[in-house]
Amino acid sequence: MAIGVKVVRRPDSVSYLRATLKGMTLTFGHLFRRKVTMQYPEEKSEPGWSLSPRWRGTHRMLTDEQGRAKCVACGLCPQICPANCIKLVPGEDEDGHRYPLIYEIDEFRCVFCGYCQEVCPEEAIHVGVHYENAEYDRGRFVYDLERLCAQTHPVSSLWDPADPRGE
Amino acid sequence: MSEHELVSLTIEGVDVSVPKGTLLIEAAKQAGVVVPHYCYHPGLPVAGVCRMCLVEVEKTPKLQIACATPVAPGMVVRVMSPPALEARKGVLEFLLINHPLDCPICDQAGECELQDYVFQEGRARTRYGSFAKRFNPVEDFGGDVLYVPNRCILCTRCVRFMDHVADDSILNVSERGDRALIGIHGDRALDHPWAGNVVDLCPVGSLISKDFLHKARAWELDRTASVCTGCSQGCNVTLDTRQSAVVRARPRPNPDVNRYFMCDYGRGQYRWMNGGDRIEAPLLAERDGLVATDWDHALARAAQLIKGAAGRTVVLASARASTEALFLARRLAGGSSVTGAFRVEYVPGEAPLSGVPNLALRSERAPNATGARVLGYTEAFDAAVRTASEAGLVLVLDEPLHGVPANTLAGAGMVIYLGTVLPEAARVARVVLPIANVAEEDGTFVNRDRRAQRYFQAKATPGMARPAWWVLGELLAELGRGGPFATAAEAFDLLSREDPSFAGLSYATLGTQGVGLPAARPPVVVPA
Ligand code: SF4
Ligand code: SF4
Ligand code: SF4
Ligand code: SF4
Ligand code: FES
Repeated sequence: MAIGVKVVRRPDSVSYLRATLKGMTLTFGHLFRRKVTMQYPEEKSEPGWSLSPRWRGTHRMLTDEQGRAKCVACGLCPQICPANCIKLVPGEDEDGHRYPLIYEIDEFRCVFCGYCQEVCPEEAIHVGVHYENAEYDRGRFVYDLERLCAQTHPVSSLWDPADPRGE
Repeated sequence: MSEHELVSLTIEGVDVSVPKGTLLIEAAKQAGVVVPHYCYHPGLPVAGVCRMCLVEVEKTPKLQIACATPVAPGMVVRVMSPPALEARKGVLEFLLINHPLDCPICDQAGECELQDYVFQEGRARTRYGSFAKRFNPVEDFGGDVLYVPNRCILCTRCVRFMDHVADDSILNVSERGDRALIGIHGDRALDHPWAGNVVDLCPVGSLISKDFLHKARAWELDRTASVCTGCSQGCNVTLDTRQSAVVRARPRPNPDVNRYFMCDYGRGQYRWMNGGDRIEAPLLAERDGLVATDWDHALARAAQLIKGAAGRTVVLASARASTEALFLARRLAGGSSVTGAFRVEYVPGEAPLSGVPNLALRSERAPNATGARVLGYTEAFDAAVRTASEAGLVLVLDEPLHGVPANTLAGAGMVIYLGTVLPEAARVARVVLPIANVAEEDGTFVNRDRRAQRYFQAKATPGMARPAWWVLGELLAELGRGGPFATAAEAFDLLSREDPSFAGLSYATLGTQGVGLPAARPPVVVPA
């Protein structure tokens, strides 16, 4: 036998009854406490509960008064994106304004770091406070510009170093 | 006073010795310090209008502008001292009063000197937030140039380029004070053949290229040293590539060739480098036409054909082919009865840039015609094509065969075609070997002044295409006449050993700026 190994011998006879009862007491005790389980999806919210305002979920593109995406295709978000999941092709509209001809985010590859929102000089792209994303088709997880603009969920307020606790 | 008299001074605590008359800003470069500057450009006369280059010189009462102050013995210069930094911060603040927050939509972002210096030493926040900025609409200056007046910092580099270098004074500073902007002659467009240089010279995004507009961001580009293929001047350029496509060419400084400039015709050359109709696999002639194969089979077949060839050999080469490829093709064609020919498009009239000696868009519109001549090729192209129709072996090196009737080469014993695209006349080839174009390989060109200059690979080759020096090296090796080569440098080494015009040269000695070949030998007489 290897040096330094201590063998603890099991007592020959022992009753587990006391330990079992102790455990059961704890288990059944919970029946009479306040319930914390929410009956999702029937219940989606309840007083005193909400997603954190710093939640980073699927994206939303904000629009201007005319309903156009605020994005000017500056190219910073595809550059900063660590997952390389933003596809951007810049173009020019009739008035000579730069705008995204193609803007797509692959939400499957996204790691929801929120860097795109942080870097955007136009406050256009945002990560959303939102979590219901189920689809029947994997292809639907590549959100194009139209879809990003059509999202209505609230957008994340990212961590602010000046206000680290969100107060 | 000799021109080479040296002056010693101290810049940022570093002792430097520079020739008398050197400007402080240039001396500072030797001390490893870049003094922030806008109006100064080494290729233009000094103006001293932007005040960005203020530095502290000991024993002078006021700060001095480094771009217009010549060095003096014993000078002690401080570039990063608190008074100098404070003054430059003030200059930047003034520039930003009217400069829009345009970086997200500005093509210059990422390579903008205003961005750089403000980031480096400007104020973090504006103190003029409550004032409306001056606004002027974007103006089309003609040619390839757009003028965005709001971004202009009035450094006058563009005006001085047109006045003193292009010698076509059509730009000026119009209006006064804070309304000043760059104006263009009422009846003229910025269509001088060298006008595109103002886009490179502009330190901000005020003069921008229509061709490049919104195409790519500066930080997405890979930059590769290359040589322009537009004409036999051989201007040094940088090819900017994005995702294996060349998106623009810009001049690369070379004091002996093009200084800081290139012409607009040369700028447009990048387009053909992205052409899509490329041969992507080696092809062999079988009963049912040309059939794709792999390199081993194609090379073996080509070598076998060359070994069995009898009679005269004709090499039809392109003057866009690298010097290495031209040399190896001739070597492959072998011994005595070889005709080598190329042709060049001549466009009458040169377009000189008058401020730079010996710089013009030349009428000879090919980069390596001189290289071909040095290697014994002649311009008797039509005669060579006639000879080719009865020759035992015809080797075509990326010559597009425009105007050569489709069946001309059918009479030849056999045709081996090395090329990027497959013209109709080359379909009679027994073997077709796909090669890289200038943006896809390393190589050298020899310009009209017999200067050998290297260019570097800027993007990937399509499909199975390989550089011509590699293909020819493999074939030579099969025949036991040199090669194979692992790099273009090895191919060039063989050239320098075998051809006295290139004796003693190597890729290391050529560097990125090129070297002149020794004086011309008496022309080699090659029987046509
Ligand atoms: S959240 Fe992060 S990973 Fe997702 S798109 Fe934005 S930058 Fe990319
Ligand atoms: S950072 Fe903002 S403005 Fe820039 S491309 Fe992304 S979404 Fe558009
Ligand atoms: S357009 Fe550009 S180069 Fe010309 S003065 Fe303005 S900033 Fe300078
Ligand atoms: S002068 Fe000739 S080599 Fe120079 S940029 Fe123009 S075309 Fe190219
Ligand atoms: S660079 Fe010296 S004043 Fe402009």
